[in-house]
This record gives sequence, structure tokens and C-alpha cells, in this order.
Amino acid sequence: MEFAVAITLDTVSFTLTLLLVTMGLVVIFGLMNVINMAHGEFFLIGAYTVVALQQVGAPFWTGLLVAPVILACVGLVLEELVIRHVYHRFIDTILATWGISIALKQSIIILFGPTSQSVVNPLPQPVDLLGVTYPSYRLLIMTISLGLAISTFLFFYRTHAGLAVRGVIANRMMAASLGINTRRMDRATFAFGAALAGFAGAVMAPIMSVDPQMGVGFLIPAFLSILVGGTSSLLGAVLGSGIIGTANTVVSSLWTQVAAQIVVFSLAIVLIRTFPEGLTGRKR
Amino acid sequence: MLTVSGLVAGYQTGSRVLNGLSFSIQPGEVVALIGRNGMGKSTFLKTLTGHLTASAGQIEFLGNDIFNAAPHDIANAGIGYVPQGREIFSDFSVEQNLLMGAIGKSGIRNAVPQWAYEPFPILDERRKQRAGTMSGGQQQQLAIMRALVGQPKLLLLDEPSEGIQPSIVQEIGQTLARISRDHSLTVLLVEQNLELVFAVAQRCLFMENGVIAEEVSDVSKLSNDSAIIHKYLSV
Repeated sequence: MEFAVAITLDTVSFTLTLLLVTMGLVVIFGLMNVINMAHGEFFLIGAYTVVALQQVGAPFWTGLLVAPVILACVGLVLEELVIRHVYHRFIDTILATWGISIALKQSIIILFGPTSQSVVNPLPQPVDLLGVTYPSYRLLIMTISLGLAISTFLFFYRTHAGLAVRGVIANRMMAASLGINTRRMDRATFAFGAALAGFAGAVMAPIMSVDPQMGVGFLIPAFLSILVGGTSSLLGAVLGSGIIGTANTVVSSLWTQVAAQIVVFSLAIVLIRTFPEGLTGRKR
Repeated sequence: MLTVSGLVAGYQTGSRVLNGLSFSIQPGEVVALIGRNGMGKSTFLKTLTGHLTASAGQIEFLGNDIFNAAPHDIANAGIGYVPQGREIFSDFSVEQNLLMGAIGKSGIRNAVPQWAYEPFPILDERRKQRAGTMSGGQQQQLAIMRALVGQPKLLLLDEPSEGIQPSIVQEIGQTLARISRDHSLTVLLVEQNLELVFAVAQRCLFMENGVIAEEVSDVSKLSNDSAIIHKYLSV
């Protein structure tokens, strides 16, 4: 019983963080048709922002604010310098963002070295929850991520600006002819997606080993989530993150990390084979 | 109001579709642009709305130079566009589609005004319905009102009768004629359906090979002139 509660809590916290990364990817892909291979490095920079702040003695919590701001700026600059020049050439976007990803990762290695860094857990005191002693920091992650995911949903489905973004995703040309500035929207969305990934990286830093490979470790499950869930709506991101996140956490805690990878990939292959457009995608 | 001069445009394959197109529209006029398929009508509308880059020429609208301007700037300058194939947001409700007409416009409240539901009552009945589930004629009515919600000074219509049953074409024609008369809305109608042209337009431009080949300043005289119709339309 206690074990089940612990696994459930682990699953929920991993899934919600994965969702933050996935949502950014889905919106960027939907809006600009760009597969952002550098999204994992946005996560990475978020985590290293926390490391850097710790090194200068700033409290951990400032990182949760500073990381998304830094990533929003990084996103804006990259969109302006690279993405906007290639976003109508689909394959090139993969190459270009992959290049960005390598450059960002190597910059991190130059700045912080190739070895893993540790971030001090800001809430070391565990709490008792349903008979389980659970790290309170993980509970905090859940709360923040859930709040952020819900806010993102409310933004896209309950506000005029969100409707405009979805309108551009559905029909870019028509939205522009109705007066919507699609360029400005691309920029804002790319920055927003980067900020979400950066926040996820910052929030995960204390419970992960912060090393230059951690971005890839998050990017792959995020891509699998999108393939499984479908790219047509944010709901796909939720479903995909839920399935991939659950499978990953449950199998790795019952068995091993390697087994989890095998199960997750096999599951993804079966689901993609059965639903080529993803679970929320329409049949062609 | 709108002055087009020497407009040259085409597609990347190198074909020149518009070969120095020139004409102008006065405020309050309803002008029909007629021609066979492939004569450059839709290419012209795409160029005018900023979706296609022109290689030469001038476009002036209400004293502003909108030649090769961005589509959203052209829309905000006061040009409403009802494209061929309607291009409604099929996953959005009727109300959300109309709202999209207001959101992008500066100086307009981000809400659907009550008058938007008056010309076509079916839109009022189906406010919450997914627009993609409606018939072609209803979608066309929606596309027209979506453009009008943005309060344009010039309304562009690209073959609004295409694929729509005759009774609805008639309703659309009457309503457009009434709206343009009551609100002195300027309209440029690209059409092959003469019934709609007769119902709405005052002046008629015939397009051939990317230029205006002929002009009839009074549409009512056109109905007796089968030679000119035969020349520019395959009927």
C-alpha cells in the first residue's frame, strides 16, 4: 500500500514535469511546424541556471523565477536569428535546432565542465502523507507543475489571445488576413515554450543529477509523448505525457531504469502503430 | 479608395500571372471582377491581401501604400477578405469564428457584436455549433460575417457562390447588396456566377491574361450583351 502511494506520487510528479516540456514542444510544432531538437537544452539551461545561482550563493527559489526569464530570452534570440529563417523548410528545422542543441550543450560543458553537479534540496524535511514518508520538495513540484499546466490550458482555451494562437495553428493564412500578427505570435510562443522547459529544468534540478546529458534524457520521453498523444491539441500532450510518464516511473521503480526504457519504447511503438496520428489525432 | 497600377506577380515557378494589372475602385462601389479560371483573379486577391509577393507595381488603399505589406497590416488597414473555399476554422464554434474576426483588429472591442447575427439568422441559431459541421452555404455566410465583424472598409469576396446551392447564393446576394447599400461598404467581388454579379455589382471588370481587358460601367446593360459574356466566360 505504502509502496503504491509512493509510486503514484512519483508518477504524478514526473508526468507533470514532462507535461511542461511537452506542452512547449506541441505548441511550437503546431504553430510553426518546427520540431525543436533544442528543447532538451532549454530544460538543461534551466537546471544549470539553478546551479549557477547556487554557486553565487543566491537562494534556490530565485532560480525558479530567473530560469524561465533567461530561457524566454534565449528563445527570443534563437527564434529571431535561426528559426524564423527556416520554419517553412521542415527538414531544415530539425537540422538547425539540432545544431543549436549541440552548441548550447557544449557551451554548458565549457562553462560548468562535463561532470554532474548537485543542487541542494531546498526542502529536505520529508512529510507524512497517507502513511508514506514522502519528500516534501516533490510534493511542491507537483503543485507548481499542476498549477502551471492548468494555467497554460486556461490561457489557450479560455482567453482571446489563446483563441488567436489556436486560430493561427488551425489556419495561419486566414488568421493573418483577419489582422493577427503571426510573426509576433511565433516569437511569443517560442519564448513561452522555452520558458516552460526552462522552468521544468530548474524545478527538477534538486532531484536529478544535473549533467550535460540531462536534456536528452527529458527530450526523448517528451517526443514519445507527442507521438503517442498526437500533435493536434494540448490534450494529446496530456495523454501522451500521462502514458509515457506512468510507464517510465512505474517500471523503473518496480524493476530497473533499463527495463523502463525498453517498456516505454515498446509501448510507444505499439501505440504509434495502432494510432499513427496519435491518440487524439484524426484518422486520415 | 483602392488604386492598383502596373501590378506584376506570379509564382515561384517563374510563371507571370499578373501582367501589369491596373484599375481603381471608388468608395461605396460594388465592383465585380470576372474572368475564366487561370486568368489571375485569385492570384490578384492573394497579392492584394499580402499572401503573394508582387514583383512590380503599386497598390494604394485609402491613401496608404499597401504594396507587399504584411497580411495582418493589410487587414488592419481596412480590407476584409473572404477567400475562395471559405477557410473557416472548422474546429471552432460559429461564435469563436466570428470572434476571430475581431481579435486581430486594433481599435475594435474583442467581442462579437449582436448585429453580426442579424443578416444570417442561421448563425444565431448555431452559435455554439462546430463550424465544420455546417453546410457549405452556412460556412460561406459565416466567412462573410467573420470578415464584416472586423469592420472593413473594403470587402473582398473570392467566388462566394462556388459549391453552394442556388437558393443560398440568392440569399447571400440579396444580403450583400443590402449591407453594401445600407453601410456604403465597398465590395470587390470575384465571380463566375453571373446571377450573383447581377444581384450585387454595379460595375464589372473583365480579366484576361492578368490584365483588365474590358470594363462595363453599368451591370444592368450586361444582361443583354451575351457577346461580351461569351468572350470572357466559358458559358
